[in-house]
Amino acid sequence: MIELYHWEPNAASARVLIALKEKGLQFQSRYLDVLAFEQHAPAYLALNPSGETPVLVRDGEPFNESSYICEYLEEAFPETPLMPKTPLDRWAARAWQKYVDDYLAASVSDLAWAALGSAGLKPPPGSSIDDAVARIPMQERRDAWRGALEDLGEEVLDKARERVRLTVDKIETDLEDRDWLAPGGYSLADIAVYPYMNYLPRIEPELVGKRTAPHTLAWLKRMSERPAVIAAEAMSRTGDAYATAAPGPEHVRWG
Amino acid sequence: MAVELYFFQPLGTNSGRVFQALLEKGVAFVEHELKGPDFEHLKPAYLRINPKGQVPTLVHDGQVMPEGMIANEYIDEAFEGPPLRPADPRERWRMRVWQRYAENDLGRSLMMINWNRIVPTFVGDRSEAEVLAVLETVPDPDRRRSWLAAYRQITPAEVIEESHRRAREGAKKVEAHLRQHPWVAGSSFSLADIDLNNFCGFMAMWMPELVNQTDTPAFVAWRAKMEARDSTKAMRARSNFNMATRGGAAIANRPAGKAGAH
Repeated sequence: MIELYHWEPNAASARVLIALKEKGLQFQSRYLDVLAFEQHAPAYLALNPSGETPVLVRDGEPFNESSYICEYLEEAFPETPLMPKTPLDRWAARAWQKYVDDYLAASVSDLAWAALGSAGLKPPPGSSIDDAVARIPMQERRDAWRGALEDLGEEVLDKARERVRLTVDKIETDLEDRDWLAPGGYSLADIAVYPYMNYLPRIEPELVGKRTAPHTLAWLKRMSERPAVIAAEAMSRTGDAYATAAPGPEHVRWG
Repeated sequence: MAVELYFFQPLGTNSGRVFQALLEKGVAFVEHELKGPDFEHLKPAYLRINPKGQVPTLVHDGQVMPEGMIANEYIDEAFEGPPLRPADPRERWRMRVWQRYAENDLGRSLMMINWNRIVPTFVGDRSEAEVLAVLETVPDPDRRRSWLAAYRQITPAEVIEESHRRAREGAKKVEAHLRQHPWVAGSSFSLADIDLNNFCGFMAMWMPELVNQTDTPAFVAWRAKMEARDSTKAMRARSNFNMATRGGAAIANRPAGKAGAH
């Protein structure tokens, strides 16, 4: 049996939800309200001590880190391939996934949190937001939440915008002569990038708009029309997965 | 047909992992050694190959592949030779999670501690203006900021202390893991062993208070096993730096003189 602990179908949770839907795999959805700090409940921390979402559980065994959950699904369930065939094209698909993990996820999360985030916070009954954050066991995540709850500051947001600009340049170049990010067709690369870039037309229309990012917008539309993406997004409980955001993963620490 | 690798001396971390993977796979390759202290990776000849100025870069039949972690997956997929990844998808997942931990969490923390020590010597006797002019040309903005912070020694003390905390936690985490599994991914040698030894193995020599026979016997035993591999020995023989005499790195690597600078 496959279970997926996830939040709204955006960011990292969406990556795995879309991959599961693309592959047509049956799974039990375990929804965690990240803005209510449900991912720090002891039962969940036993599965994933970092308290990050998503976690996939197969026959009782937990798997974390969305890039590697997706690669695991690809290798364990090779039907409906989501990776290109040749080693070189697979390198290109993995390069996009790694780029998301190293740079894009943290940068877009900063921008999305600043634009949408804290309004939706719901500390558990009888406790304050500070108490809820103080109970996060991993220092890295506690620091990330504290940093996000203070003002991120314009310098951090400017760096994030700089990263988005570089990403748009990369996508616009890649999509000049093809429909999907990695050569060789639709792949985990598209699934990795979409749930972050899809925040941006609304919150950073200058960076991802008709003038600056025509190929990117057309690709976002192609993505949003895929049945698997529609099915994943139908699992939103808020009704609009990209109108809400949580503190993201850590930025690369050096270099 | 040709396989080429652009790498930094001293061989280790990111350059070492790809160099060693090629040796393990038995792939013959052309070596292009880049002199870090001469900033060869920022010169036009190299930027034409890899516009981001990242090292290492694997080139196969003219196809350019930076990013060591995934270049190594390519090596395992594209060439005949002993498998460098487990066959079991679950162990493969574990391999990748540990590769990321070795590189991005523990490895970057060690890098932050060590580069802040090494960079001032690394740049030799160049003037500040000269160094800043070179560092301004680092193409990636995040990497540029890290270099500048290390050069100016302005990395905040709490960031360095957090790196030391992660090194302490990391030694324990690695120890606990290697008590359960003979190899990092589980039952067999894999790319994760190559990565952990290249990014974090030197803790045994540079941080003996954290990695030693008494506190981390499994870590020490695994390292001995790794250092005894032919690929590790060949890589160490090719390196211009004796890991045991840390600090020698900066001296051995100093630029020849101002003539070598930009």
